[in-house]
Amino acid sequence: MKRKIVVVEDDQPILDLMDILLKKLDYEPVLIPNGLDALTAVRADPPALILLDIMMSPLSGWEFLERLRMECNLREVPVILFTASPTVPEKMKKLNDPRVGILQKPVTFDELRAAISQFLG
Amino acid sequence: MERQITIGRYSLTHTDLVRFIVIVSLTLSSILITALSLARNAGAIYPQLFYFSILYATYFYPKRGIILAGLCGVVYECLVYFSLFPDTLALWSATGQAILFICVALAVAYFTNLIRVSEARYRSIFENSLLGIILFDKNRFTIRLANQQVATMLGYTVEEMGRIAFSDLFLSQDYRRRFFELLGSGEDITMFETCFATKKGKPHWVNLSWSRIDDTIVSCSITDTNAEKTARELAADSSTQYRQVTENSPTGIVITEHTTILFANPTFATFSGYDREECIGMNLADSIIDEDKSRFEVFANRWNLHMPQPDRAEFRFLTKNGEIRRAVLYFTPITRNNQPAGLVNIVDNTEWEEYRERVEQTKERRREMMRAVAHELRTPLQPVLGYLNLLLQDPHSFGITEETRQILERCAKSVDRERQIINQMLELSVLEGEETCLDYSVFSVSGMINAVIAGGGYTLKAEIAVDVPSDLLFEADRQKLSYVIDVLVANGVAYSKPPKKIWITYRDTPSHPFHRLAIQDNGVGITESQLDEIFKSDGGTGQARDSIGETGLSLAIAKKYVQLHGGYISVDSMVNIGSTFTIHIPKKRPDKTDHHET
Repeated sequence: MKRKIVVVEDDQPILDLMDILLKKLDYEPVLIPNGLDALTAVRADPPALILLDIMMSPLSGWEFLERLRMECNLREVPVILFTASPTVPEKMKKLNDPRVGILQKPVTFDELRAAISQFLG
Repeated sequence: MERQITIGRYSLTHTDLVRFIVIVSLTLSSILITALSLARNAGAIYPQLFYFSILYATYFYPKRGIILAGLCGVVYECLVYFSLFPDTLALWSATGQAILFICVALAVAYFTNLIRVSEARYRSIFENSLLGIILFDKNRFTIRLANQQVATMLGYTVEEMGRIAFSDLFLSQDYRRRFFELLGSGEDITMFETCFATKKGKPHWVNLSWSRIDDTIVSCSITDTNAEKTARELAADSSTQYRQVTENSPTGIVITEHTTILFANPTFATFSGYDREECIGMNLADSIIDEDKSRFEVFANRWNLHMPQPDRAEFRFLTKNGEIRRAVLYFTPITRNNQPAGLVNIVDNTEWEEYRERVEQTKERRREMMRAVAHELRTPLQPVLGYLNLLLQDPHSFGITEETRQILERCAKSVDRERQIINQMLELSVLEGEETCLDYSVFSVSGMINAVIAGGGYTLKAEIAVDVPSDLLFEADRQKLSYVIDVLVANGVAYSKPPKKIWITYRDTPSHPFHRLAIQDNGVGITESQLDEIFKSDGGTGQARDSIGETGLSLAIAKKYVQLHGGYISVDSMVNIGSTFTIHIPKKRPDKTDHHET
């Protein structure tokens, strides 16, 4: 049984890429283009990991993360912030959550693999 | 001092002894003459002779004179009694005579005493007075008497004063003439200010008051006003200077008592919009806008401390025409008329502040734009990088030939470099923008350096000599410092000539406040003109070195990281010999406030 990784990302070319890369890494990608739909999806079926874009609307990555952590069955799901915004690392530091990692776009294939394996072994 | 002669238990001066002999001789002579005249039955013809000794004795020694008068009376009475008894009339007359002796002695003693007391009183006033007193002859101006005060004031001895003419005491002809005019007016004068000359010829200011004692003698009292007058002249002098300085000062200057304005210069008047006259008596606090008032009160309260210190702060002022102006106040405690006062410099920086705000806004806008641009550049780069990685990961399964693979690899390399440049741009924009917090920890420096060298694979590219004590610990942000070392080593390796050699050396002087870590290469070196360019983050770097693209922005980032620690990077370089980059990191971790400023 392949482990499920939800990718929340509003940029279609990146979603397409992630689909291929994650399959290559032997995971089952679930691609969702906005935060609200993603929240419904992960509530219904908690994934092993979430790759989360930050600059999205209507629901930003931070808001998504906040709501996610309020759900008791989703509190432990690891999240990798997958962003191009330069201010995210500082904010993440302040969050001080061991279940949150970061990947700054653009990432190489090796970097993606390393970041995921940090949480999923 | 008169010589003392001791006879038995009496101690007499020479004068006393002479007087004693005179008195005894006179008394004995009087007794002998009276006795002889009585023996010749001529009667007591010269009883008045006794008055010589009695008056003489009583004048000098009132009490003993009375006793002597008593004795003389008794002796006279006895002589008359033995010679003329029983002549009743003669006896009564002799008794009356004896009583008269005593009465005369009593009267003389009484008046002598009165004179003595009054003389003593005047003498004591004369000698102990804090005023200088001179008695002089108003016709010949000889000094009859001068007390110690005058002598000390002018540097003479009392004896010397006696040999000078009063008119010669004046400093110059002018003062002397003025004195003669006043003296000639015949009136008693009080507080005539004039200037004497001391023995050394220096001017000495005094106030003279005089009154005539008799036709010739004038008593003159002298008040020493020199210190006061000198101070006044000095004050007048410095006050003039002060005025000149403040009149032309480009900064506003006010003198305050607490916060009430006692003086304002023209610049302050222009600044505040009030006339200079309106400024006087105004409360400085009233010209400060309401929002800043409480802060100003705190600032001004410090002026009232026992030992106020120079101080500065910035406030916004409301001018007379309703304009708001910013100014920095510099407070300096001064003394004015022996009262503590404040000298407040007011430097108008309204234009400067507005300019600075505009510059800040421009900078912030530039940073925001840079972030947006970088963000927009990064996102589309992701699929390019991702797909290239994917293809190169397993070329065979995608049917890629070796030639195509090489082309794709070059593409990937270029994309990766672009990614790095964009990342560095973003990192710099973050560093220049908000405050970046450092994650301080204590770590082994040699451990960190070895990790960096191993991580960068530098030993394959150059010979690296590390001379750092193995027990050396830094308290710093390990990750950021690792980046700095990495950048400098990579830089050294990139610009060294084969055989490439890099030295990493720790330099320390125990009293020096900084750790110094030097990274030296044997490379191409940097020219003077390039030195200014290499750490810059905004353009211009292209010409600094041949292939600066690899490390260009990373040096700027490294510099920022070291600055965040409160340190700096210095460079020594000689063209074609090599460069030494030295990282200076404070041994003591700076306070939070300190490193915000850096």
